[in-house]
Formats: sequence, structure tokens, C-alpha cells
Amino acid sequence: MSESAMAVVKPEMKSYIWLQTADGSIQQVEEEVAMFCPMICREILQTGMGSSKNYAISLPQRVNPAILGLILDYCRFHQVPGRSNKERKSFDEKFIRMDTKKLCELTSAADSLQLKPLVDLTSRALARIIEGKTPEEIRETFHLPDDLTEEEKLEPLRNITDDPRIRLLNRLYARKRKELKEREKLKNVEVEEERVDERSVDDLLSFINGEDGDSKGVRASKNKKKNRRRKDQMKDSSSNNVNGDHKKELDGVHTSCHNAEADEMLVSTPSKTSKLQELPASTFSPKLEFDDGDIDDELDPAMKEQLDREVEDFARRLNSDWPERMQEILSLGQQRRLVPISMNGNGSAHRYTSLDSR
Amino acid sequence: MGYSFPEEVLEHVLSFIDSDSDRNSVSLVCKSWHDIERWCRRRLFVGNCYAVSPAIAIRRFPELRSVSLKGKPHFADFNLVPHEWGGYAYPWIAAFAKAYPWLEELRLKRMVVSDEALELIAKKFKNFRVLVMYSCEGFSTDGLATIAANCRNLKELDLSESEVDDVSGNWLSQFPDSYTSLESLNITSLSSEIRFTALERLVGRCPNLKTLKLSHSVPLDLLPNLLQKAPQLVELGSGLHTKEVHPDLYSKLAGAFSGCKGLKRLCGLRDVVPSYLPTLYPICFGLTSLNLSDAPIQCPELIKLVSQCQNLQRLWVLDYIEDTGLIALAESCKDLRELRVFPSDPFGQEPNVSLTEQGLVSVSAGCPKLHSVLYFCRRMSNVALSTIARNRPNLTRFRLCIIERFRPDYITQEPLDVGFGAIVEHCKDLKRLSLSGLLTDRVFEYIGSHGKKLEMLSLAFAGDSDLGLHHVLSGCKSLRKLEIRDCPFGDKALLANAAKLETMRSLWMSACQVSYRACKLLGQKMPRLNVEVIAEQGHPDSSPDEYPVEKLYIYRTVSGPRSDMPSFVWTMDKNSALRSS
Repeated sequence: MSESAMAVVKPEMKSYIWLQTADGSIQQVEEEVAMFCPMICREILQTGMGSSKNYAISLPQRVNPAILGLILDYCRFHQVPGRSNKERKSFDEKFIRMDTKKLCELTSAADSLQLKPLVDLTSRALARIIEGKTPEEIRETFHLPDDLTEEEKLEPLRNITDDPRIRLLNRLYARKRKELKEREKLKNVEVEEERVDERSVDDLLSFINGEDGDSKGVRASKNKKKNRRRKDQMKDSSSNNVNGDHKKELDGVHTSCHNAEADEMLVSTPSKTSKLQELPASTFSPKLEFDDGDIDDELDPAMKEQLDREVEDFARRLNSDWPERMQEILSLGQQRRLVPISMNGNGSAHRYTSLDSR
Repeated sequence: MGYSFPEEVLEHVLSFIDSDSDRNSVSLVCKSWHDIERWCRRRLFVGNCYAVSPAIAIRRFPELRSVSLKGKPHFADFNLVPHEWGGYAYPWIAAFAKAYPWLEELRLKRMVVSDEALELIAKKFKNFRVLVMYSCEGFSTDGLATIAANCRNLKELDLSESEVDDVSGNWLSQFPDSYTSLESLNITSLSSEIRFTALERLVGRCPNLKTLKLSHSVPLDLLPNLLQKAPQLVELGSGLHTKEVHPDLYSKLAGAFSGCKGLKRLCGLRDVVPSYLPTLYPICFGLTSLNLSDAPIQCPELIKLVSQCQNLQRLWVLDYIEDTGLIALAESCKDLRELRVFPSDPFGQEPNVSLTEQGLVSVSAGCPKLHSVLYFCRRMSNVALSTIARNRPNLTRFRLCIIERFRPDYITQEPLDVGFGAIVEHCKDLKRLSLSGLLTDRVFEYIGSHGKKLEMLSLAFAGDSDLGLHHVLSGCKSLRKLEIRDCPFGDKALLANAAKLETMRSLWMSACQVSYRACKLLGQKMPRLNVEVIAEQGHPDSSPDEYPVEKLYIYRTVSGPRSDMPSFVWTMDKNSALRSS
């Protein structure tokens, strides 16, 4: 029917569709407007519902009355065939201006009604809101939980547990842990503290300038995410105050100034958010997935870290050069110490034992 | 209570978010977003192929279609990185062959690509479309032949600046007659004679061909035929060399160029005979990019050509353009955004052309959209630099190369600290900076305090002491790449700012004063860095620890030390100190 003809027809002659939202309220909508929604259209055509109040079409739960109103406004405008692209675009630009919360509800509702043009419009708007924001800002905007662990943010290295190399590594790990435990019982734990890293920059500089530093070698900086999932079973006698903070989420990514004296250091802490995000994953997770659950956790965390490092190192070397490593690994059973092997590019392997005091 | 983002549409929303940094932000929001994002990520950029292993990348992003990888550090372009250093593409391609059978695009920069790798690409990726190898090496035309023969859907093949072992020009004939999808071909680096008939047929049967960049070996008399077969070209690169001028050829060429109504980008023009230049005049108005850095065109013809290109956005040119040409450029080309002026005679003792700082000052005054500059010249002054800075606070890339080192301000004989200081102070969005001339630690103080958006900094023969490096490392918050040669920087600044290095992609230092001991220390303390010592003269253990290393390349990584190092590269790790003690 032409528009002018329609104007002459009495209102009761116009077709209406009845829609019911999840809260129970029912409203009637001009048929051509409702039919613009594929989901409603299908309901009408397939089930014949919607022709009267008693047989109102039940809309998905995500469509509440207010949002339905918006959607119908959208449909009412766009279902008119004569409009130019410019008009439609202009309408869309005005239509989309709303607060973020409503935008989210609208996107969700449009999606449940399969109204693709509106889903696209709202999705693009949401994309624009997200662009340029930091993760914290995005979380704030959309009230999302901050539930990624530090570990997950850097993505722990995972090995497939049925890899035979890994099983071997498991056994090695287990044996090493036992050795370390035994050694620990014999030693005074306080000695360990000396070797914890996190020296201040002054220490580093004086080391460079030739003053007498700790000659036992400097350990690699602690990976802050370690031990977070484990239960805290630090030995009481361990005065590892460096570890004292490890329950707290640490700021930033780097931990070499994890000391209580961190503030005094010259070390510039990296910016928190974006810099490491380029990297898809991290390195040295202490908690390699194949850990045997029944090995008890009573090792001093510092020792644990050392152990983890050695094993990680070993795993990495394993992964890079399996056949030659086979021999080394098989002969390891006879030795008490871990024997890291390094290779340079032309294939010759230098073997050396790690110093016990590491 | 809070409201939540509708997760059911998150994937759809993410399809409108393309930039790497936004994607990275999205992936760090929360667990569910992290998971959804990684499954729908289609494009990955790895700025340093050793920063992450193929396995990790594959595990995290299971559905990639397009990967970009970079290998050697930038200073490899200046022959500072030894030839066998690394950057092998094969392990990546082999891993992708298993994990991503639907991979469509590979873009490699400064990597070593073997024919075996090319064969894998040709045979394992059924829908492969784009292969870009920028400044790569290690492959031959045999590898290209395999690509041509097997990649039915190839759209783009780009070998810019790559070193190709040119076994034979026949590889072009390997594209089957049924192959018609070529859209972009760049073979400028190939020197051998290609089969022109094969090229002509290929061009003729690919209706979507938009970019055609040929080596200079294509003789001028073949060009009109090619152009007539591809009037839809948008980008053309071709030598225009010929031994003599033929009137016939002239009119044929003029006609062919006029027929290319959509031509926007032009490069090559090696050995061009100036009398042929007018054939280009009809297309000048439509050009947005003109690369004459290979063209020995001198001033009057050059000015005539350039001043007709009123829509030019990018100009790369030799210093034959001189100050007068740049003044003309500033008057005619108001849309200019990028200018690069290369030296025609970099090793000459005396200037061979009349190009000074004035040319750049004119362009900075006359071209309001200019944001990217690379300028080789022989003299500069602080006042010129300050003027440029005030004229163009919208500069994002500024690379000044004063040809002779340690050159002071030619007017006052002072260092150029203040001039570059003005650049960083006024150009608040400056992302890339290269310095030259006589420079003290003071310039680094300016850079550290103002260069907050600076991402890449290149230094040579600059500074007085560690303080200079310290200013840069502690002040430049956004710094990603730092490359240094022949500067008096040693251990202190590096060690004091060790943490900073984990926030950057890489640091290169050659002919500086970083001791072997400091390298070892850094390697021990920072497990997430690879500290590579490059020593072609012999193992650094054979000299005392205080001796400076020849070359040092430090980069962050989640994959630990690499295993493909040549014999003259060592990664400092926790074991290295023990070995020598």
C-alpha cells in the first residue's frame, strides 16, 4: 500500500505485532517495524505468534522494555525504504550517542534479535570506545574483573606432559629437590640469604669499580610471579625478607628492585602497562606444569627458585638439541650435580659443572 | 552494581580493532577477554624474531593468517652486523607450516630466507597470498620459481632490497598461464635479465595488477608495451635507461604514460636520460609519491619535474635538488608529508652540490604537513634547527645526517646540542630521531627531558660520558629501540638502567666502552634479556674483563638464549661469569 493510502485507512486496520519482554510487560508495535528484526520476523512466519495480546512473541531475556524502545526506534527509521544513505548514516550517528552502559545493553539485545546492522553499528561504537585505552581503563569503563594473575599476563611456559623428555625432566626435578632438601638440612639457612640478589645499584656500581663485592656470584633477578600459587611454606628461620612481600601483587614488570630499599635505587622502573605487552608470553615460570603434586613444598623459596631456574634452563637446552642431550641426561643419574651444557654455534659442546654455591 | 560488556559480541567488536597495541591492551583486560582475543587474532607482528619462539607464538595464537617478522638489527643496513649473525626464517616457517595451514601472509624484514623455506611456503600454505621479503637474503631465483609455480592465489610478491642469488631469469615463466591474481610485484633487486616475454604475458593477464616495480635491467623500449597492458597501474618502478633517444620511443612512452590515469607512485628512473623526462609530465599532477633517489637528474630538469607534482606527499631525492630545488618544492608541493634527501657523493671531501641547511628550513616553512624528514647535508646550525623545530612542531621522524662527523654549528662553532634540543622540545610527538654533528652530553639531557614519545634513537660519535646514556635511558619513557655506535658510553649508565632494557625491544652498541664484565653481569642479572656479545676478533675471555666489547646487542626475550649463534657471538647468561673466574 502506498503511504498516502495508508493514511486514509483507519488505525484499527493497521497490523500490529505483540511483543513480550522478559519482565512480563507487553507492547504492540507496527508490523513493518517489528518485521525488520529477523528473529521476530521468523517467529511470526514460522509460528504465527504475535498477532494478539495473548499470543505475544516472547523476546530474549537481554531485551528489556527500555532497550526494546530504542531498537524499535532504529527499526522504525530504517525500515522505510526511501531514505538515502546519507540520511541513514546521519541517523545512526545520532542514534549511537548514549552512555556506555546503555550501549552495552543495546549491543547485547540487538545481537539476541539478530539485527545485524544494529549489531555492527553498536559493535563499532564499542570498538571505538576501547581503542587507545589501557587495560585498566578498559576494565574501569566496562566494570570488568582484574582476574588475570601476573603469571597469566606473562603466560607461563607450558610443556606437554606426555613428552618423554618431560617425564625424564620430572624425575630429574624430583631427584634434585630431594638433594636440595638434604643439603638444606645440613646448612644454616642464613647463609642462603647472602646470595639472594636484588642488590642495589650502588652495589652493582661498586662491583664494577672493583670494590670487594660478594664473590659468590650474583644470582639472576627473581621472577616475581613465582611461588604465588603455592602455599606459603617458608621456613621460619628463613629471614628472606625479600620474599616478605610476595603475597602482594607487585607493580610493574621488573623486580630487580624488589628490595625494601627499592626507593633509593637509581634503577628506573619501567612503565607498568604497555611495554611488555608486545610479548605473547613469558619465560621462566617456576611452576612448570608437569610438577608432581605429591612432592612436598617445604623447600626454602630461594632454593626453589634456584632449582626452578636450573631445571628451566635444562628444559630449554633439551628442547633445542634433543639427541645429543640424551646421552647427557642418561648419564646424569650417576652424578650428584646438575651439569649444564652450553653449545656454541659450531657444534662443540663445552661442559662445566655449576658451582655448588650458586 | 556494575554492568558488563556483552561477551557474546566481544569477538565481533574485536573484529573492528586491528592495531597491535589495542589488541594487546584487550588481551590484558581479564581472563575471558584474553581468551577470546587470542582465538580471534589473525595478524601478528614480531619485531624481533628472537624475542619469542615460534612455539610460544603458535600456542598463544592458534588462528593466525598473517605474520610479520623482523630479524637483524637496523644497523645491519650499514654493515655493522656481521654477515652470519642470524635471523633465520626457516624455523618459523617450518613451525607455521604445521600450525597454520591457512596462513596467507608473511612479511619478513632483514631475515635469512633459504630456498627450502620458500619451498615450504609454496607447498604447505594452500591459500598463500602475500610474500614480502624486505632486505632479506639467502635465497635464489630457484626458490622464487617454486613460489611462482605453486602459489595459485599469490597477490603480492615483494623483494625490495633483498639480495637474491640470481641463477636465472626464467623463474617468471613458472607462473602458470592460469595464474591471474597478481596485484603487486616488486623485483627491483634482481639484476639478471628476466624473460621479458614472460613478464609481458604475466602483466597482460593480471587485471588487478596495481604495483609493478622492476629492476633497472628492463630496457626503456619495453616499457610502453608493459604500460599499455596495465593502464590500471597505481605504482610503477622502472629504470628508464636507454642508449639513445628515439623520437618513436619518446612518443610511444609519452602515450603509454598518459594512458596510466591512476598512477600515483613512481620510483626507479635509474640512468634516465633527461630528454625523456617530459613524457612523465602528464602524470605528475596525480603523483603522491616520487622516489628519485636512484635517478641522476640534475637541478633544472629536477625542479621542472617536481614543481608539477602539486599533490606530492612523499619525495625521495638526491641532493642534486639543491637549496633552490627545495625552495621550489616548498612553493609547489603544499601537501608534502615526507622528504628524504640522499647524498650523491657521500665520500667526497668537498661538497659537490649546493645543498645546505637552508633547503630544509625552506621546506619546513612551506610545507605544513611535513612530518617525516631524512636529510643528508654537510653543514648545520643551531639556529636553523630551532627554526625548523618552530616551523614544524608536527614532526614525528627527524633524521639528520651531517656527513662529516663531529661537525659543529658552522656559524658559531658550538655543538649542536641546543638545536636538537629545540627539535625535541617543540616536536612533542617525535617518535624517531637520528643525531649527527658535534654533540655533548647536554643534548641527551634535552632528549631525556623532552623526548617522551621518542621510540627510536640512533646515535653515532656523540656525547662525552655515561651521563649522556643515562639521560636517555632514564628519561625517554617510550623508547623501544636504541642504536649507538662510536660513543663514549660505558658500564655505569647501562647497569644503572638495567631494568629499562626490559621495556625496550633492543639496544645496539658498537665501538663503545662497555666492558665484558658489565656484559656478563647484565646477562646474569637479567634472565629476560639476551645479552649478545659479538666479537669477531676472538673470544672475549681471552682479554681482561675490563676491556670493552666490540659489539653488544641486547634484547628482551621470553625464549632465552638462542641456539643458532655463529662462533663469534656469545650470549651472556648466568654461567658466563663462572667460566672466566
